[in-house]
Amino acid sequence: MTRSRLVVLGSTVVVAAGAMAALGALYLDPARAAVGPLPPQALSLPAGTRYVMGLDVKRFVASPLYTKYAAARTANRPQAFAELEEKTGLNPERDLDQVYIAGTQAGVPGRGGDALVVVTGRFDRAKVARAIETERKGVTSKNVSGTVVYLFDENSAGKGTGATAFLDDNTLVMGTQASVEQTVIARAKGEAPLRDNAALLALLEGVKPGSTFWMVGDKTLLSNMPKAIPGPGGPGTSQSIELPALKSLTVTGDLEPQVTLDITGEAADEPAAKNLADVVRGFVALASLQANQKPELKQLASAISVTTEASRVHVAARVPYEVIDSLQPKRASSAAPPNAQ
Amino acid sequence: MSATAPRLTPDAPPPSAPVAGGRDLSRPVPFLRAAKAVFDLSLEGMVWSRRSLLMVALLFGPALLAVAVRIALTRLPPRVSAFDLYGLMIAFVYVRNALPLAALFYATALISDEVEGKTLTYFLTRPIQRVAVLAGKFASYLVTTLTLALPAVVITFFVLNTIRGWSGIGALVPELFRDMGVMILTLVVYGAFFTLMGVLLRRPVIPGLLFLFVWELLANAPGYLPRFTITAYLRSLIHHRPPDEGLAEIFAQVLPTALCLQAVGAMIVVFLAGAAWIFSQREYVLDQ
Repeated sequence: MTRSRLVVLGSTVVVAAGAMAALGALYLDPARAAVGPLPPQALSLPAGTRYVMGLDVKRFVASPLYTKYAAARTANRPQAFAELEEKTGLNPERDLDQVYIAGTQAGVPGRGGDALVVVTGRFDRAKVARAIETERKGVTSKNVSGTVVYLFDENSAGKGTGATAFLDDNTLVMGTQASVEQTVIARAKGEAPLRDNAALLALLEGVKPGSTFWMVGDKTLLSNMPKAIPGPGGPGTSQSIELPALKSLTVTGDLEPQVTLDITGEAADEPAAKNLADVVRGFVALASLQANQKPELKQLASAISVTTEASRVHVAARVPYEVIDSLQPKRASSAAPPNAQ
Repeated sequence: MSATAPRLTPDAPPPSAPVAGGRDLSRPVPFLRAAKAVFDLSLEGMVWSRRSLLMVALLFGPALLAVAVRIALTRLPPRVSAFDLYGLMIAFVYVRNALPLAALFYATALISDEVEGKTLTYFLTRPIQRVAVLAGKFASYLVTTLTLALPAVVITFFVLNTIRGWSGIGALVPELFRDMGVMILTLVVYGAFFTLMGVLLRRPVIPGLLFLFVWELLANAPGYLPRFTITAYLRSLIHHRPPDEGLAEIFAQVLPTALCLQAVGAMIVVFLAGAAWIFSQREYVLDQ
């Protein structure tokens, strides 16, 4: 074999080994999701789900945002977590892996409470169940397809204001009674109703893998948003700027090593997308103009970029923690000047 | 003083010869056999060359930088995440700069090196089609550049994305395969373009550099101008683009994937067909 062939062979071996390792990692990844970032058990969510959002608790707790801001500012946090751990054996920082929130009726007048929360992690089921039964009055339980569903404030008609149940040892679901029971039944039957929602699945597939937090939703999610914003003339003037309607929205974000946010909205057509992108760029430009008074706004404005791809608008923000620090209100000096008197 | 001798006319019929070894020597060698023979010959000279040493430095530079980042990251707070840095290397270093440069230096030389070295005669006086010569040489260019580029990107991917451990890397794997696909397309389309320049121009390197670093800046311009560049289509195929800055931040466009694939495919066909046609028709006058 010639030297050249040996080089080509060596290169092929490196690429093949890399590809095998990559495929192995993909196959063996314990966090491998069923669809996009969703685990298999979340596919039991109702087919009519209009939006889903998720939070990777492990990444969130490990992020500078949590350690620096959230944890530092919540003075009673350790005590609250200690009480929760004492009652349920659950330490959210340690035991929770993922939290998913799904909704079916966003934007429908009078139907704002159809959110369903799915929490995955490590639970002491017996302790959690006992805490549910004893910590609050009016908790009853019923058996739904072999799964115990706890109902809160059940009335004479057998309807509760809320419900919760364990889908399995590592998955807790909470929400309205109908949603919870629907999910429990689907799980017990081994069905995956969410797979029937092709539009939402397509959005879920587009979620950036490994994101700390994310959200996808169709137009019903955005139906409560304002259709127009005041123009330069101020509110009530005829110069208000009309916002093009969005057909879907995808948000992904990371918190380490800086705050990263990627928002993708799908408009009705390409001109609408460009119009929306121009509106966003206008706001970024306005922030830049304020830089004379607040120099940190210039950094924030330069951290945001807006692009369009056919009918999609993509907004990317990369904000270092130094910029967030600079935007924080200045704290009063801890050493107060001595009183002149 | 340079005198012109031998004048090599397009696909000149070889001297008539009797049938030998079961092949009619009056007819050219079959296309695939001829192309493979040219590929074997060219690969040997292309992989082991000073040009390849330069390209190794260019293409493995990001991999070395990734190693340095990995070592330094334990002490320095990073401004960007490892995956963002990897995306920056793919989009800006490889697809925008390193791979087009590799294509420029290899592909423009496919024929012009043979002309300058006065060795083109040995190809053109053999009973092989000129298109087979070009096909064999283009294949050897592709194998050489892929041999150098793909291991570099695989190493960069693993070095950067395993900084915080192997957990979660499975989710990034599709991006690696997508990036490798885009890199292959980059080498093919720029290779085809610079092969065309190589057979069209006597000294194609300077125009090639001007194309890469002046004309291709139109990719950051507003309106339809980016569609007249190659890089706009290629960068649109990369998912994890870093945020643009400057003009690109204001006017940046991401073209639809289907359009990008169609445009890149059409460019490859047009450039290669153009190069093959010109090479088949052209008369080469070699200096003595």
